[in-house]
Amino acid sequence: MESNQDKPCGKVIVIGGGIGGIQCALDLADTGFYVYLLEKSHTLGGTMAQLDKTFPTNDCSTCMFSPKLLQVADHANIEIIPLSRLLDLQGEPGRFTARVEKQPRYINEEKCITCGQCAEKCPKKVPDEFNGGLGKRKAVFLTFPQAVPLKYALDPKTCLYLTKKKCGLCKEICPTQAIEFDQKPEIITLDAGAVVVSTGFELALTAHEGEFGYGRYQNIVTSLQYERLLSATGPYGGHLQRPSDGKTPKKVAWIQCVMSRDPARNRPFCSSVCCMHAAKQAVLTRDHEPDTEATIYFMDIRAHGKGFDDYIDRARSTAGVRYKRSMISQVYWNPENDNLLIETFDHHLNRKVEEEYDMVVLSSGFKPTEAFADLAKRLGIARNPYGFLSTEFDEPVATTRPGVLVCGGVETPKDIPETVIQAGAAAAEAAKLISTARNSEITVKETPEEEPLDPSPRVGVFVCHCGTNIAGVVDISRVVDYVKDLPHVEYVTDYTFTCSTETQQALVEQIRKHRLNRIVVAACSPKTHEPLFQDTLRKAGLNPYLFELANIRNQCSWVHGNEPEKATRKSLELIRASVSRAVHLEPLQEKSYKVVNRGLVIGGGVAGMTAALTIADQGFDVHIVEKDSLFGGFANQLTETLEGDSPRRLIRYLKERVIHHPRISVHLNSQLVAHSGHVGAFAGTIKDKVGSSRDIQYGAVVVASGGKPYEPDEYLYGTDERVLTQVELARRMAEEPNWARRLNRIVMIQCVGSRNEEFPFCSRVCCSAAVKNSIRLKEISPGAQVIVLYRDVRTFGFKELYYLKARKKGVLFFRYIPEESPSVFSDDRGLTIDFTDRNSHQKFRVEPDLLVLSTGIRPNEGAEQIARLLKLARTNEGLFLEAHVKLRPLEFATIGIFLAGLAHSPRFIKESIIMAKSAGQQAIKILCKEEMTTSAAVAEVNPDLCSACLACVRSCPFGAPFINEIGVSEIPPSDCRGCGICICECPAKAITLKHNTDDQINSKIDAILEQALSQN
Amino acid sequence: MKLSFYPGCSLEGMANDYARSIIAVFKQLGIELIELEDWTCCGATAAHSLSEMMAVTLPARNLATAEKLGLDLVSPCANCFNRLRFSQVMIQKNIYDVPWQVSGDLQIHEMTRFLAEPDMIKLIKQRVTRPLSGLKVVCYYGCQMVRPPKITGFTDYENPQTLDLLARAVGAEVRDWSFKTTCCGASIGIGRKDIQESLTGRLLQKALQTGADAIVVSCPLCQSNLDIFQMDAGGSGIPVFYFTELMRLAFKKNDKAHKWFKVHFTDPVPLLKEKGFLT
Amino acid sequence: MSKINHTAQQETVDSGPSTERQLIGDRGNHLLDRIEGETGANISACYQCERCTNACPASYYMDIKPHQVIRYVQLGWHENLMRSSTIWVCLSCEMCTTYCPNEVDVAGVINHLRNTAAHSSIPPKERHLAVFHQTFLEQLQRFGRVNELWLMNAFNRKPHILKEKIKNGTLKKEIRLGYALWRKGKLHFIPRRSKAIKEIKEVYRRKRGEVF
Repeated sequence: MESNQDKPCGKVIVIGGGIGGIQCALDLADTGFYVYLLEKSHTLGGTMAQLDKTFPTNDCSTCMFSPKLLQVADHANIEIIPLSRLLDLQGEPGRFTARVEKQPRYINEEKCITCGQCAEKCPKKVPDEFNGGLGKRKAVFLTFPQAVPLKYALDPKTCLYLTKKKCGLCKEICPTQAIEFDQKPEIITLDAGAVVVSTGFELALTAHEGEFGYGRYQNIVTSLQYERLLSATGPYGGHLQRPSDGKTPKKVAWIQCVMSRDPARNRPFCSSVCCMHAAKQAVLTRDHEPDTEATIYFMDIRAHGKGFDDYIDRARSTAGVRYKRSMISQVYWNPENDNLLIETFDHHLNRKVEEEYDMVVLSSGFKPTEAFADLAKRLGIARNPYGFLSTEFDEPVATTRPGVLVCGGVETPKDIPETVIQAGAAAAEAAKLISTARNSEITVKETPEEEPLDPSPRVGVFVCHCGTNIAGVVDISRVVDYVKDLPHVEYVTDYTFTCSTETQQALVEQIRKHRLNRIVVAACSPKTHEPLFQDTLRKAGLNPYLFELANIRNQCSWVHGNEPEKATRKSLELIRASVSRAVHLEPLQEKSYKVVNRGLVIGGGVAGMTAALTIADQGFDVHIVEKDSLFGGFANQLTETLEGDSPRRLIRYLKERVIHHPRISVHLNSQLVAHSGHVGAFAGTIKDKVGSSRDIQYGAVVVASGGKPYEPDEYLYGTDERVLTQVELARRMAEEPNWARRLNRIVMIQCVGSRNEEFPFCSRVCCSAAVKNSIRLKEISPGAQVIVLYRDVRTFGFKELYYLKARKKGVLFFRYIPEESPSVFSDDRGLTIDFTDRNSHQKFRVEPDLLVLSTGIRPNEGAEQIARLLKLARTNEGLFLEAHVKLRPLEFATIGIFLAGLAHSPRFIKESIIMAKSAGQQAIKILCKEEMTTSAAVAEVNPDLCSACLACVRSCPFGAPFINEIGVSEIPPSDCRGCGICICECPAKAITLKHNTDDQINSKIDAILEQALSQN
Repeated sequence: MKLSFYPGCSLEGMANDYARSIIAVFKQLGIELIELEDWTCCGATAAHSLSEMMAVTLPARNLATAEKLGLDLVSPCANCFNRLRFSQVMIQKNIYDVPWQVSGDLQIHEMTRFLAEPDMIKLIKQRVTRPLSGLKVVCYYGCQMVRPPKITGFTDYENPQTLDLLARAVGAEVRDWSFKTTCCGASIGIGRKDIQESLTGRLLQKALQTGADAIVVSCPLCQSNLDIFQMDAGGSGIPVFYFTELMRLAFKKNDKAHKWFKVHFTDPVPLLKEKGFLT
Repeated sequence: MSKINHTAQQETVDSGPSTERQLIGDRGNHLLDRIEGETGANISACYQCERCTNACPASYYMDIKPHQVIRYVQLGWHENLMRSSTIWVCLSCEMCTTYCPNEVDVAGVINHLRNTAAHSSIPPKERHLAVFHQTFLEQLQRFGRVNELWLMNAFNRKPHILKEKIKNGTLKKEIRLGYALWRKGKLHFIPRRSKAIKEIKEVYRRKRGEVF
């Protein structure tokens, strides 16, 4: 009892069940803490659940997201509390007590079997909020098919019984008597050591504002409504239709910056994500309907992320999306056909042109949710003037109340990867606060013992509709009929969404009931869904390797959408092949090994130091390796941030803490020169400049090798001393204010060494640097003329306020296009710059005292060596490539290695800190474990056949095989990734890849060819 | 109820038909209009264009007279209303100083907004004896009445409702359109006829597109501009009514009603006969 | 097919007419500061999004488009503005000001420039419009109110107006219109007067030291 008083509570309350809250909950629950996940609506999912596809891969959002949803739903240490809101929070960091109000669902979650009969019979139809009000749902409803918890709910505002005491049909027909009209709100009390706010954002545009006639004309929709409109689970089943008459639109226009960058509406900030989602929607529109034209009206394209510009270029050139740089004032309506007219002034024709569109999509900005305003008051945390919970530069997830942290769209508008990254950082800060209580509140998930395997194969086949993704093309009933007669098949059935939580329970029951011992799911890709189903097998007491996934979606229904008959036949063949392989599957046992509870951080910049401190502060040892003699990296060269914070002070603070931290081993002037092993048990060698080396062991790695400024050779840089870079200008202004005071006219050129052939990315920070320095120049010398030549001003988020400040101070911004980039001459008298302003369509000449180049950021040279050593993927430009741009932005394909800072992509210091904290937290997911298991699907050498020819040793990309003491090749299971390259290379066929044996593969091939051969 | 009334120059001249209908309608509503004594012109676009000082000074005296009267002021002309409000706002902000006593808290009503208040609409509906059912109209507000919102107080400057409400109150069927507040170019008609004609022509074309039988306006300049433009169209154009004319028509069966419309260039009598409002 | 046509429409193609290269000289912020000071218009906040030009119903007839007006003020190019048709063609319909996201009072700026131009020696590019405004004010001074018939009569008697009207045929139209209006009882031969105008004139003269 006494020790309990000192020790913090090992539980965390996460408020908000969107992608941010979910990621944060997972990052905490996976590191030994218990999480209450509070969600105000009926289901987890947030805004991401409403998205159709996500860029840049145009992957289905739900398909990416639902494994995450399931992971949360299934997690033993995450308690989801839907329909809840926090009433108050007492106590102090480490020991909070929260009162939480739970609204009634009016349906007993325990009893509801999600049969859907209630919704079918319910007579009350209401606009479906999830679909942006475009379609209808019933008063008793399921928000979306992958909802978590997957239980129906009654809408008390529209239910006839609850509003007028009429009807009650649902209660009569519910087969499990789950409807409970008399449920009342209840108040529960929760203990927690920390609170994370991740309530996300919602569209700022409502019909009340009526911008551009939204809410007045039917065919004007918001970006989120359009997202639903494209979606297969949306109101029109994924067919592109316009709301007024259901016709397929032939011309669609997007209008950007609606309720963003609009000081007149007290929304002077940029919403950061709209440029990219409009591009994505336009590309998808062209994809859905190749004859539909897509036009985007915009001011600046803000494609400030890694590969974003590339996506925009592809949208333009490959997908044929038309970009028009012109802001619209008003949208007119054609009463004859419900079309919409957009008028712009065409400078080429010198007259207005009126274009008619079938539909207009408004890319609305975002605001924190309505409910958040109330929550902030209850928590007693301060918001910024626009309602967001913005944070400080060195405390990027802290609110004004200690112990209450923040992540995601409620902090500033941000995209999915940035949210995922910040969620990890919030988790790290929460965990740091209560790290002594790690593992004190968790329950360990018990999986039933594996049951002895029945020698005769009894195959169960489960066919997935994937909503309409598969069922819309493939004739499912024909598939089921065919499959049930295949050899060894004991049981076949089909589900709308086989991946839903509910169905997992059903699968377990069916497996048990029919004593199935080989399972085939005919659905989607094993890449996304195999782990999920393997888990289900474990729960049913089956060995997880007795599972086979037939991909009848990605490889069939998606690609043969226009040929349902052939697609159905192909599905039959794919499933037949899978069943045939399933019969040959063998149970395999995974091996476990001890984890080295020590981390390694490569790079001693801001990101590296922050990552090391994140790990060390939670009680784990960590090595930090820096190739230079001092800490700080690129940030050492910076004097001030746009917001006025001091990077130097930050570096000093971090450096002091790193050097004196008892758990951090510092290795300056050093490099990692050797690296081997696998996740949880790596070994490596650090070598310093003097040549002495040291062997170390570590369980996880954070790569934060940083970046450096681009050294320009353009615009007379290096040959004329009147040409500087932004970094140099900032330093010189700080050191020699008198020099700055004497400047009369200064020109800045943006995008030098960025967004070109050689380095097609945007360097993200240079616009802000130019804005920062131009404000500073105007402060030092208000009479000086500062001219910025830009391509797009990318001051996203609240940085837009500084762009406004710079303009108000009189800084002149002119836009140039790359084909007419400015030309710079110099002679004894001075510099001359000729440029064409693309906004006023005029040619200008200016003779400045100083030319400042906004040079981009490049990865450090060291990155190449690290990439080779750790076998990490990089982009063509040398930036490290994460495992998945959206949901795994911090991870590498190689497990156990994480990524932070400029090594990932150009970013601000604050963003690097967030990323480093998050990467540290990911590393702790490994370091906090006692032991780990390896996959059993690995290569195994038959020593009798091996002639030690070294073919496998040479070909293995992971360096796993070695020649052992008896002179034959050996492959340690923990090192093998199961890629199969050695198997193909081995001339003696001495190597077998378990779970992919020749038998298994041949049987599959035979089964596929069976039909073809028999036809001949 | 009593209101002070600032008719403006147009109502003494080309818009005398508007003036007549206003007086008749207010009489029927039981509201007494007291014309400001010795009022002067508001300066219109000209004063505003050439000297802002004058644009403030000219209406200021009228404001002072109205304040002395102690009644709310109502202005039937969009331009006058705009100028009066502009002057009042500038004086309120202490940007200009005028020698008359202008406190700046005089309530200046734009006439349609005054009549579109819920109570007034109720009263109007009570007075209707001949609902204009079946008459399809579009309402045209023009620019001066609603813009700039900071002066006029119209927050729904893109989709104002006052005329719509009034037209509906007398039984007409109101068609929505996007050009309620698009400028008709009247102010430039004398110097640059070409600009005015292109703007007015487009508006009329858009109005016809909605399938409306008539246009309802409240601004004397807009009315004459839209109506005169159709002078050469013979009788085939689209009639342009002052909203008060429709109210007057709906309030009282009057056999002389067809005489009111003789001053219109596009004769609305055939339309009104066809709809059965005139015999 | 549509795909190919579509791609050709790149942003770079949609460029405006090319003009002479102009030097951004030493004119500084005088004009900007003066107009910002006198009108309270938020000129420097402009980010050249062209919402004003797209909104303006008369932008086609302007030689300097509304968004360019703002840029010219920022650059101090006063004379170009004074000589432009824009300041006269502007309808004062306030579309530009209403739709500006940065709350730049574009119409206010143009109006201010027109006020200045009216008092300058630079001949107005749109003479008819300038003269008409002037005539209107003269009528106003004379009677205190404005009578359409007298106004048109006075306007036509201004130098060159009648000649040009005869030349381009507007006079004929106007006479026809005048006749029609008279027939409809809309023209009055005797102007109404307001006595108060004397007082107002006196106030103005005292304040400004000039007759308007």
